Formats: sequence, C-alpha cells, structure tokens
Amino acid sequence: MSIAVACLAGCETLPEETRSRAPAATAADRRVPVPERDRVLYDYRTAATALRAGDYDVAKARLDDAIARIGGIIANDADAARARGLFSAESTKVFIGEPYERVMAYFYRGLLYWRDGERDNARACFRSGQVIDSDPGPKQENYAADYVLLDYLDGLASAKLHADGSDALARARAHAGPRLALPDYDLAANVLVFAEYGYGPRKFAGGQYGEQLRFHVEDSPSRSARLVLAGGRRIVPLPAYDDLGFQATTRGGRVMDHILGNKAQFKAAASVAGDIALAGSVVASDNARRRERRGKDGDDADAAAIGLGILGVLGKVASAATHAEADTRQWDNLPQRLSFAAFTLPPGEHLGRLEFLDREGQVLASRSRPVKFTVAPGERDTVVFLSELLR
Amino acid sequence: MSTTSRFLFASVAAVPAFLAGCATSAGVSQPAGSPVVELRPDERGSVAGTGIESQDMVTVTDKMARSILAIPQIARAPVPPSIVLDPVVNNTRFPINKDIFLTRIRTQLNSKAAGQVSFLDREMMRTLERERELKRSGQVTASADPRASEFGGADYFLTGKLDGMTTRTSAGTSDYVLYSFRLTDARTSRIVWEDTAEIKKQGLEDAAYR
Repeated sequence: MSIAVACLAGCETLPEETRSRAPAATAADRRVPVPERDRVLYDYRTAATALRAGDYDVAKARLDDAIARIGGIIANDADAARARGLFSAESTKVFIGEPYERVMAYFYRGLLYWRDGERDNARACFRSGQVIDSDPGPKQENYAADYVLLDYLDGLASAKLHADGSDALARARAHAGPRLALPDYDLAANVLVFAEYGYGPRKFAGGQYGEQLRFHVEDSPSRSARLVLAGGRRIVPLPAYDDLGFQATTRGGRVMDHILGNKAQFKAAASVAGDIALAGSVVASDNARRRERRGKDGDDADAAAIGLGILGVLGKVASAATHAEADTRQWDNLPQRLSFAAFTLPPGEHLGRLEFLDREGQVLASRSRPVKFTVAPGERDTVVFLSELLR
Repeated sequence: MSTTSRFLFASVAAVPAFLAGCATSAGVSQPAGSPVVELRPDERGSVAGTGIESQDMVTVTDKMARSILAIPQIARAPVPPSIVLDPVVNNTRFPINKDIFLTRIRTQLNSKAAGQVSFLDREMMRTLERERELKRSGQVTASADPRASEFGGADYFLTGKLDGMTTRTSAGTSDYVLYSFRLTDARTSRIVWEDTAEIKKQGLEDAAYR
C-alpha cells in the first residue's frame, strides 16, 4: 500500500509554474515551440511587444491570428470538455483570455486598422470589444459594456465616416461620468494619440484549492499623462479614460467558476472520505490483531481493514487527481490605463515629450520620455501609439 | 492464498493500471493533429463563428451578380456599360477584407456575362497615368496617339455596405448581417439597382469559456 501511495504521488501533475508556463514574447524565444493551447497567449504578448517597438506588421499578424481564434464560437471542443472534467485543470483548454484581455486584442487591432486608413474596420474592432465586455454573467447579471474609449472611438470613427456618432459619444460620456470631460469630436483632427501607462492586472488563484480566479491590481503611480509639443507651447492632456484593473475586477462571476467550485467540493469530499476509510482501516486492523491475540479468527476484520484501506487510498487518489485550480495564464504585458487624444497638427515631423503625472498632478520626471512622430499629408489620420511599458 | 494476500495482490496489480492512465498525453487534443481537408468556399467548416465567413461571401456575391445581370440597364444596353467599383463600407462589428466582396462580384460578372459589362480599373490609375506620361514624353513607344485621352469614364458605380446587429445573452450570441449593394448612375446619381442579402447566425460557447 505504501508503494502504491508513493507511486501515486508521482502522478501529481506538473508544478503550477511549469504547467502555466506561457510562451515568451521576445523574438529570440520564438524558436521555442508554442503549445497550441497557448497560441493566443503568445500572439497577445508578441503583438503588444511589437506594437511598443513600432513593428506594426508583426503586431497586425499576431493580432489577426489571435482574433481568428477568439472571434469564433468555441463549442463541442474536446479540450474545453476536458477542462470542465474533474481530473484536468482549467488551463488545459485553449487559452483565449478573460474579457478584458480579448477586448485589448480588438482595441490594439482597431488602432492599427485606423493607422492604415480603415476607419470602418477599426470601428468594427471597437464594437467587437463592446460586445465582449457586455457578456452577461451566469446569473443573468447583465453587465453592460462600460469602456469609455470603445464607445468614444466607435462614435469618432462613425463621425469621420460621415455617419452619426452622437449615440456612441453619449454612451462614452455616461461611462466616463462627471469626473472626466470627454471632448466633442473634432472632425478636422488629423492626429490620433493612443496612450497607455501603468501595469495591468495580475491573475492569481485563490480558495482552498486555487479554484477561485482573482486579480491583483497594483495601482501605478502614473495616474495621468500629457504630451508636450512645440517646446512646451502646446500641451495635449492624456487622462486615464479606462482602467483595465477596474475592468478585470468588476465583471462578476463566470460559469466556469461554478464548475471549479464543484470540482473543489468533490476534491474536499473525496479527501474526507479517504481519511474516514483509512481511519476505519486502522481500527479494523487493530481489531483483527486483538482477535488473533485472543485466539479468535481475525480474517474478516483483516479483509475489512484491507478493503477500507483500498477505499481510503482511492479516495485520496481521486482527491489528489482532481484539478480545481483556476486558469491563471495571463496576458502579462498589458497596461493599466488607457488614454486617447485627437488634435490637429500640420504635416511634417514633430518633436515632443511624453510626461506622466502622479495623483497630485506632479510630473514623474524619471518616467518622461522624448517623442518623435511624423504627420502625414492628406486625408488619412496619423495614429501615434505611446506606451509607458517597454515590452 | 489468504484473503489478505488476495487483497494485496489486487492492490499491487491495480497500481500499474492506474499509472498507465496517468502517463497518457493529458490535455492534448488530437495529438496527431487533424489532416488538411479541402472544403468548397460555400461550405461551412468545423471552425465557425457568428461573423462573416467565406460561405456567406460566396452566397451573397453569387446572388448580387445574378441580380445585376437581370436589370434592363445591363441586359439591354446597346453598348456594354462601364462600371467602377467603390469600396464597401463595413458597419458591422466584424473587421473584414472589404475588397473581397467587390472583387468576387466583378469576377463573377466578367466570367458569366462576358461582354455585357466592362469594369474600369481605377486601382491602376496612378500606374496608367505614369505610363501615359512616358509615352507622351517619347521615353517609351506608343501604338496609338498618346495625346488622346482614352481613359474611360464610369457609367455606373457599384458599391455596398454591411450592417450588423448583435445580441448577446447567457443563452448565446446572435449576429445578424445585412449585405446591401447598389448600382448608381454616374450621370444622374439615380440608383438603378439595389439588392440585399441577410444572414443570421447564433451559437453558445462551451461553459469553459463563459
């Protein structure tokens, strides 16, 4: 029996760190084969890194690959079915990410479409983001989409396409509330600045068996930003319109949380049942020895002890083999805050400085960085992407 | 063999069987992969969503091409009318390659009604203008008088738009897409033809993704 227990210990799944090891985002690490179930995660991370490095073609390719997978309906999928099963972890399913991660894939792809002059496809991405964010909870909690920028940019794209963007602007203003003054659409604006700062939410597993998906949000000191142009004569505010930490932690429960909860209950119950059976085995064995010392037949008690022992081991094995852990694979190079500004500049090269501000509105000097971009002539908008994150 | 021995033997025998179960490629679906299969473009594959897919594109463009050929302005025109394609506007929530719709309508019309309509290649205008300048400057040879203006003007503009509506509840996601195309007379601005196609899809994701 002890041999069996020792062998079964070897059946333990890989350590969490190894199981959840996600593909690295750097070009050098691209040689590492990416498991199919982590492919979207790899796409996400690589796209964000490429976007910050100005490698827009790579970012587009990776986001298109990810969107081709997350844009469909995953049904009758063997990996998903396995992830719902008792003896497989949630992380065995193909990763597509939580809604805030999927929204960001569409948000980034949207700004890249806009950069290519495809405002309607950009708007399509922002609208897909709204649909993903409006996902109803398992109890019909009806969480409405509440990203400010998705609605604001939807309306701006519509207005620039000579359609009516007023409804979307009204929704964006409702999401922003009184603390954030969203400017009216300036259709003459030829420069669109997308800015991001702070580090995004981190997933971790809570609960006795790690069955609860939780988020840690470390509030970034960069509360706001601004773009200083023309030697300080022009300052473009870049307030935080959206906070991914807020989005990650305010979406309510998942159906999968209930499944993981059931797995955790089974795991606990099987362990308790195993404990009781093993204790019964010890008692039966002790009883058998006492009967034998008294010269009586102890075979029945021996059989009961062995039977209970096997049941106990099976219970403990079933408990150990049950994987209730929540999937904590995550897009770990997301920002915390998103900002946007649209304004007019003459064609040509422009130099400036991106500054980040703390809670009191003081410039975080060590975080400031120079900015250089070229405004293209013609009708196409110039899209400038600015990030505090380096990769 | 005593009862105890039988139980011990059974337990030991069960261990390798259990371990064999642990040693399978857990979490790997179709470890050998799925062989490539060829599908017709109008066939629904196993990878599907509620968005705009190839089978929708084929269905819609086939319908539009047939519909255009039936109108009197095309069918009974004494001279094949010249048509210019104007980009489709995408008002749905699905980012798409917009050119693909008009490209397929054009190729359908060109292949099924050869000679009934002609299309003007405005995408090539910059290249064509450069070539004409080279001919006019005598840098390259010309088979006709290069000073004559022979670029064709449009009789009609063909364009379209895609509109969508999405519903998402705990019962699933539903997407309705309305494809509308129109042919506009370049001289009078009258719409001489318009047709629509509509496709609605719905689905519910696996609980592991909800």
